[in-house]
Amino acid sequence: MLLQVDQLRMYLHLRRGVLRAVDGISLHVNEAETLGLVGESGSGKTMTGLAMLRLLPRDAGRIESGSIALDGRDLTTLTETEMVREIRGRRIAMIMQDPMTSLNPVFSVGDQVGAPLRYHDIARGAVLRSSVIDVLRRVRLPSPEQRLGDYPHQFSGGQRQRIVTAMAIGCTPRLLIADEPTTALDVTIQVQIIALLKRIQQDAGLGIVLITHDLGVAASLCHRIAVMYAGQIVETAPVRAIYRSPAHPYTQALLAAIPRLYATAKRLTAIPGQPPSLIDPPAGCRFAARCPHRMARCTEPPPMVDLGDGHSAACWKLAA
Amino acid sequence: MSRFLLHRLLQGLVSIVGASIVIFLISRLSGDPVQILLPSDATPEMIAETRRTLGLDLPLWHQYVIFAWDALRGDFGRSYRWQMPALRLILDRLPATILLAVCGLIFSVAVAVPVGVLSAVRPGGWTDRVGRIFAMLGQAMPAFWVGLLLILLFAVQLNWLPAFGYGGVSHIIMPAIALGWYPVAAQTRIVRSAMRDVLDSDYIRLSRALGTPERWIVWKYALRNAAVPLLTMLGVYFAAMLGGAFVVETIFAWPGVGRTVVEAVFSRDFPVVQAGVLFTSILFVLSNLLVDLTYGIVDPRIRDDR
Amino acid sequence: MTVRRRIPLWLRGVPWLALLVLAVVGICAIGGDDILPADPNQLNLADAFRPPFWAANGSVGNPLGTDNLGRDILSRILAGSRISVIVAAYAIVFSGGIGALAGLVAGYFGGVVDAVLMRLIEIQQSIPSIALALIIAAALEPGLSTVIFVIVLTYWAWYARIIRGEVMTLKGRDYIAFARVAGVGTPTILMRHLLPNIFNTLIVLATLQVGQVILFEASLSFLGLGIQQPDISWGLMLADARQYITNAWWAITMPGIAIMLTCLSANVFGDWLRDRLDPRLRQL
Repeated sequence: MLLQVDQLRMYLHLRRGVLRAVDGISLHVNEAETLGLVGESGSGKTMTGLAMLRLLPRDAGRIESGSIALDGRDLTTLTETEMVREIRGRRIAMIMQDPMTSLNPVFSVGDQVGAPLRYHDIARGAVLRSSVIDVLRRVRLPSPEQRLGDYPHQFSGGQRQRIVTAMAIGCTPRLLIADEPTTALDVTIQVQIIALLKRIQQDAGLGIVLITHDLGVAASLCHRIAVMYAGQIVETAPVRAIYRSPAHPYTQALLAAIPRLYATAKRLTAIPGQPPSLIDPPAGCRFAARCPHRMARCTEPPPMVDLGDGHSAACWKLAA
Repeated sequence: MSRFLLHRLLQGLVSIVGASIVIFLISRLSGDPVQILLPSDATPEMIAETRRTLGLDLPLWHQYVIFAWDALRGDFGRSYRWQMPALRLILDRLPATILLAVCGLIFSVAVAVPVGVLSAVRPGGWTDRVGRIFAMLGQAMPAFWVGLLLILLFAVQLNWLPAFGYGGVSHIIMPAIALGWYPVAAQTRIVRSAMRDVLDSDYIRLSRALGTPERWIVWKYALRNAAVPLLTMLGVYFAAMLGGAFVVETIFAWPGVGRTVVEAVFSRDFPVVQAGVLFTSILFVLSNLLVDLTYGIVDPRIRDDR
Repeated sequence: MTVRRRIPLWLRGVPWLALLVLAVVGICAIGGDDILPADPNQLNLADAFRPPFWAANGSVGNPLGTDNLGRDILSRILAGSRISVIVAAYAIVFSGGIGALAGLVAGYFGGVVDAVLMRLIEIQQSIPSIALALIIAAALEPGLSTVIFVIVLTYWAWYARIIRGEVMTLKGRDYIAFARVAGVGTPTILMRHLLPNIFNTLIVLATLQVGQVILFEASLSFLGLGIQQPDISWGLMLADARQYITNAWWAITMPGIAIMLTCLSANVFGDWLRDRLDPRLRQL
């Protein structure tokens, strides 16, 4: 197993209270496998991604408990210097949502792609230059040799996302955390980026955690999907199983909310209610207030029920 | 790019011409220069004759045209006091003033950048609080007093630096500090606020996520962006240095245009005053124009747009 | 915490120290020579170069020491505030008045009037203010009126530009359009409708200008272009003291501290007022 996260809790200590952004997350990713982390805004999926790299707001964020094991090594025990030198950009990389703002406007593309290689002592001088050209070729950026000195504003959105990807994979990391990498792009470019990520995964055996709210994108890239709600994972399953037989009421509601092309025009199905506050979350199941199958038992935290074949969900209904 | 710059250059030209008119008119305000030039027992004929020679009997606009035409050819008259062409006097002194202004600017930037960066990286910290206090004080202290205090401390009490004159590095340190003191506050503010914005940006977060050491993030990747607003304003600050040079040069007996003009004012040496003020104004206008030029150089995005 | 709640909202955060300093300056300016501890012009050569009271050979009679002619420095400093206040008052009234009027007219009428005004502002801004002061002082006699004239000539453009901007924003508002449709004459629109709305801005600009005017007057007097003997100005005191810098460090520092404190208080107060009345001006 490449990545194993066990009961991770990350809280934000704010003036108005303690925000339990990541509250007991357990997941795992294998080599050459993509795990989708799916959920609505505010569900904690981005925070989970940041927590895995320990990129927390300086004073406010803290990992309270749990472990993050990369190739068996627990990242929560490392010092900040070790994280910078050995993990970030080197063994775990990250790409973010908006390619227009992810690149530094006053530095050339060659400089930025070469930066992780330089700071992790992978290459220097002429070797560095050829390594940069090499990785830019791998992301299928046209004529990389001529474009090393160009600036980000001279590239299109899709090209910029490729450049960002090149920055991320330059040091051949073991795991890539992709936070909504296609959200800011055209649909046609989205397809290209997804294909790019697939190819890189096959070539390098890269594990990917894909954070997204778009179930369609998740379906095309992921092997397994973990559904998040209010800071917790409510269901994990292989991708087919999620779409064919969703077990948790929240997952079912999410899938039901997707408008179908062939259905007769009815009103859009939405999930009534709002996600709970993460500062003072309910004691039991956090979805209970909006759940059509709510029972008396739901005031207690539901157990994660194993449904077989790698499928599990946290719901009292399944525990019987 | 060229279109916009051309427009600005034209604007600058108009300003300079306008300034020359103002300078010309004001010097004529002083009353009759003939009285100063001739002895008090001059006969009315002598006065009228001198007036005619100097062209003072012509209408004012005609006098201006002569003045402007002469000026364009480099003739600003002869200094009453030093008996040499006024223009040459000014041009000889100009390099010293420019040197002082540059050093003053270097000093202010050398203080403002580190203080601004550290203030942004550690808000509320030691550097931030002390920096803010010094900036507040700095804006309330006139440059000449700063100069006097520096002389008092380093020349009189400690005897480390010479109190006046033109020579090596030790001669320029105190004048540069006195001159560059005032804009430090404003520059620090610019750097601090720019750094704060940049440190919050997506590309910095990405750099951090990819394991760039914090030191490089702050001093290379963030600062280069935050410096843009400061660098584009350098022209304005250089112009301010030129203005402040008048007083600072006087205190430190620095052989520049400023001190020369001040002395000329007291000896009513009009050709020198006119030439000095006009040249300073030209430099002033050019420095402010520089802002638009440097913006294109400093920010690669603008470079290609034009 | 309970004490905080008892202070009314409008009183909170007021820069008390700054106001105190400004009040002292104001009182000294109005009070005349009688309220001073000693006669600022009283020569006493036997007492020359006496250091402040905490140094050896100092005396409490001259708390901040005496200058080269034996005059009490503290009294001279307090008397010097008069000039600072007078200059500030006249300068602000005239430059503010002229600048606001110019900005009002240019902003409202636009077109040629505006173009001419902008060119004038640019011309004014192409000559460094000290240089302008020098050339004016060369033409006229140095003195109080010259100082005020120079300051007005230097600062009117600052007001004009900002007020013009304000007016241009305001003139697009509905109530101006209604007034015009109703047939209200232009002077009335300017005075009745526009002026009250830019008043806040004017007040803020005026208070922000005070500090700069004090520094400017001090510089001019220091160079000898401003206030002349026997009038007392802090800048002039520093010019005198310069010759005796090796003997009397207090003569160089004390008037300067007066300048700094007054200017600082004016700046702090101006900033506070700006934050209360018109935070948009924070760029200045």
